[in-house]
Amino acid sequence: MLAAVLGCGALYVLYLDHLVTHQFEGRRWTLPAQVYAAPLELYAGLALSAPELERELQRLHYQRAERPDHPGTYRLSGERLDVQLRAARFADETRPAALLSITSGAGGLQALRDGAGGDVPVLRLEPLLIGSIFPSHGEDRIIVTPQEVPPLLPAALKAVEDRKFDTHHGVDPSAMLRALWVNLRAHQIEQGGSTLTQQLVRSYFLSSRQTLSRKLREAVMAIALDAHFTKADLMNAYINEIFLGQDGSRAIHGFGLASQFYFGKPLSELDLSQIALLVAIVRGPSYYDPRRHPERVRLRRDLVLKVMAEQRIITAPQASAAAQRPLGVSSRPAGAYYPAYLDFVRRTLRRDYRDEDLTKAGLQIFTSLEPRAQDEAERSLERELERLDRAHKVPGARLEGAVVVTAPQSGDVIAIVGGRDVGYDGFDRALDARRSMGSLIKPFIYLAALESGHYTAATVVEDAPLDVKLANGTHWRPENFTHQVYGPVPVVRALSESLNLATVGVGLSVGTAKVAQTLQRFGLAQPPAQVPAMLLGAVDVAPIEAAQLFNGLANGGFRNPLRAVRAVISQDGKAVKAFPLQVSQVAAPAIVYQLDRMLVHVMDHGTGRPARALLPPNLAVAGKSGTSSDYRDSWFAGFSGSHLAVVWVGYDNDQPTGFTGSAGALPVWAHLMASLGTSSWNAPMPESLAEVQIEYPTGLRVVTGCAEDIVAVAVPEGSELPAKPGCGFPATRPAAGEAVNTFIDNAQKWLRSLAH
Amino acid sequence: MFAMPAQPLSQRLPPGHITSAILMATAMLGGCVLRTAEYRPPSPPPPGSASIPAQPPPAPAELPSSPAARQFHLGAASRALVTQAHAQANSGDFGQASATIERALRIEPENPLLWIELGRLRLGAADADQADAMGRKALALGTGDPAAQAAAWRLIADALQALGRNAQAAEAARHAEGLAPR
Repeated sequence: MLAAVLGCGALYVLYLDHLVTHQFEGRRWTLPAQVYAAPLELYAGLALSAPELERELQRLHYQRAERPDHPGTYRLSGERLDVQLRAARFADETRPAALLSITSGAGGLQALRDGAGGDVPVLRLEPLLIGSIFPSHGEDRIIVTPQEVPPLLPAALKAVEDRKFDTHHGVDPSAMLRALWVNLRAHQIEQGGSTLTQQLVRSYFLSSRQTLSRKLREAVMAIALDAHFTKADLMNAYINEIFLGQDGSRAIHGFGLASQFYFGKPLSELDLSQIALLVAIVRGPSYYDPRRHPERVRLRRDLVLKVMAEQRIITAPQASAAAQRPLGVSSRPAGAYYPAYLDFVRRTLRRDYRDEDLTKAGLQIFTSLEPRAQDEAERSLERELERLDRAHKVPGARLEGAVVVTAPQSGDVIAIVGGRDVGYDGFDRALDARRSMGSLIKPFIYLAALESGHYTAATVVEDAPLDVKLANGTHWRPENFTHQVYGPVPVVRALSESLNLATVGVGLSVGTAKVAQTLQRFGLAQPPAQVPAMLLGAVDVAPIEAAQLFNGLANGGFRNPLRAVRAVISQDGKAVKAFPLQVSQVAAPAIVYQLDRMLVHVMDHGTGRPARALLPPNLAVAGKSGTSSDYRDSWFAGFSGSHLAVVWVGYDNDQPTGFTGSAGALPVWAHLMASLGTSSWNAPMPESLAEVQIEYPTGLRVVTGCAEDIVAVAVPEGSELPAKPGCGFPATRPAAGEAVNTFIDNAQKWLRSLAH
Repeated sequence: MFAMPAQPLSQRLPPGHITSAILMATAMLGGCVLRTAEYRPPSPPPPGSASIPAQPPPAPAELPSSPAARQFHLGAASRALVTQAHAQANSGDFGQASATIERALRIEPENPLLWIELGRLRLGAADADQADAMGRKALALGTGDPAAQAAAWRLIADALQALGRNAQAAEAARHAEGLAPR
């Protein structure tokens, strides 16, 4: 009988042994993927002031110091900044720590020099860690190797949590007894009697209730672990495993991530007081949350320092000096967390990787995110939505929005904002809110019109009442937003002022099939329903799709798949996957240029005018407002020479907002563009085009001085345009008509050549 | 566990396989007809006094009325990256070289010379479609600079040749000659 019990006991012990070793080994290899933003490239000529450069270093948690003698520090004196760069890993290169000196001037950075004084033509800062893709159980960690652990940390842990760590066999009976005695006397838990090994076991098998049987099981497993693995291994596992905080749905495990989470710095850069603080948190991360209970955790931190001095790990003066220091915890979880962008990254990679590969293999993912642009996009949206909410006071309803920013020539997505509560990992409107395009579709109608050869920017079209008989027999009578009818107007004006009647007229003449085909060429994923209402934007798109469409207009007619992930490498630095730049010409540059010039006029003369006051005076931009029926969706899509931004504003429950694209989304867009340090749109005019001046209301050709409201438009060279009487034009060129025909022939040939 | 890189063509057929022998024979016979797309770095731009700065200052809101004559150059940062890319390409690492040119393109996204560099790398990596597309990109951006446009046309010609579109390749070559005779 006794033998049977002992036999069962032995089997059970063997089972526990297997269970815990399996966990230990398994955990070693569970590494979430780390995601990095785009590194900032530094070079002479970069338009960045010294204060702005300092801000970017601070974003990476570099600290100002008297002498930049260890990685992570910099010195700023006047226009010269000396920085000791940390070792950095990029997708295509690993770089050791190095000294860099940067001098700034009026125009931006002037010179970069290395430690030896040699000229450095270009150098990139290390990329910012922006998040991890962690397993669905929510644990997140940054693995630190023994080399990256400051020696004070294991010393402090042993001093405070487990003095006999180096000698015991997994459990420390004297510690348990002492704890029992102390806690009984104090009528509360003051000392834990668990060893670090026991805490490690407890961490593997989450259990809130500490029953006696549980404690017994943990003790057995701790002994088993101690028998199988070295003290060094166990200490390292503990340092990487222990729960140290909660950030929404993300559990912070391990000192590596905790260091980032609380201080925004790598573990190796923490000072004594900061290490003591983390050790203090171990006992109860929620109870000792430094952001919510700073006084409580400060007391415990100082107790940790005292114990460290008593154990002669540090001197008494060192302890008291450290106790004077403030907690030093950053107010917002540092190194976090751009959920909308991470969402896009996850979806991109999900096509090629299973979720488990993404979250277990420790992949390093390098993206196109530009933190500065992301911050400005978040800020612009938050501010403007607040203002609009106040102005429009709809009780109980709260406006929402989304922003997508790209670098048009490459198609890199540099910022994504999924909603106004930026830290919230919820519904990502930028990717998933499919809303009616409204007038955003109009540029594509006019693009198709230009391609047909029957229209130019100066062509006069009729803005007149329409009665369209639909397939189901009913009649559709669209109206302009102003409910007015404008009569004959040039195309540039119809687009500028977003005239519905004129646009539907042009669209019907070109044909919905052609318009649909144009949209798909520019990247619309789903073929739109080819009904007349499509011409007023009855096509649902998410902001990211609208960005894809407009990106092709912003870069002169090339469809680049929007790209957030640039490269993926493995934990040990081997290339796993690259996402190289890809371009595909989907429209003739001359056609897109004519359209882009009209989009510039939208900003000068049309629905984009309110942006002018918010932008630098000499910045040339182009764009289009979008308002869907009943004012449910407020859009603005616009670009400069270096950025494209798409903004959507509306209510989640689809109720009417009461304002147009110009009133809602446009201010967000304008504030964002003004803050980006962007450059003017200045695409070269193709040789087959010529610039002519026309009268904006009528479309008649004019010269300076003989009309009041003049705009310059680009048209095919040799186009025949009716002249305004009395403007005194020279005789028209005889080959004018022929030139237009040749142009149409060439455009059609080119389009046909796309078919293969 | 995660996607393995595609096996390079040379490893798909084991040596000594009959098919590869036939292919080699055919290649030798037809070698003069087929033109392999090899990596040749673009010739450097002619020296000139006018240069486009790495970051153009904000232009006035008035737009140019006709394509102004200009001459594209690489800024100091781009030049350093292009040199690095050439070295990487010459040691066979087109992936790394591309990544380096992409860095330069983030600094000067509208410089046609960089798009030509990238297109040449694509050609070297047997992606003639992208080489052609990037040539057309360079062509559009290079308006007003005959030398840049000629280089773009030469890239397009080489890409079209690699795609077997010989008539179009010849036409592209003619454009190049017309703009900047060698």
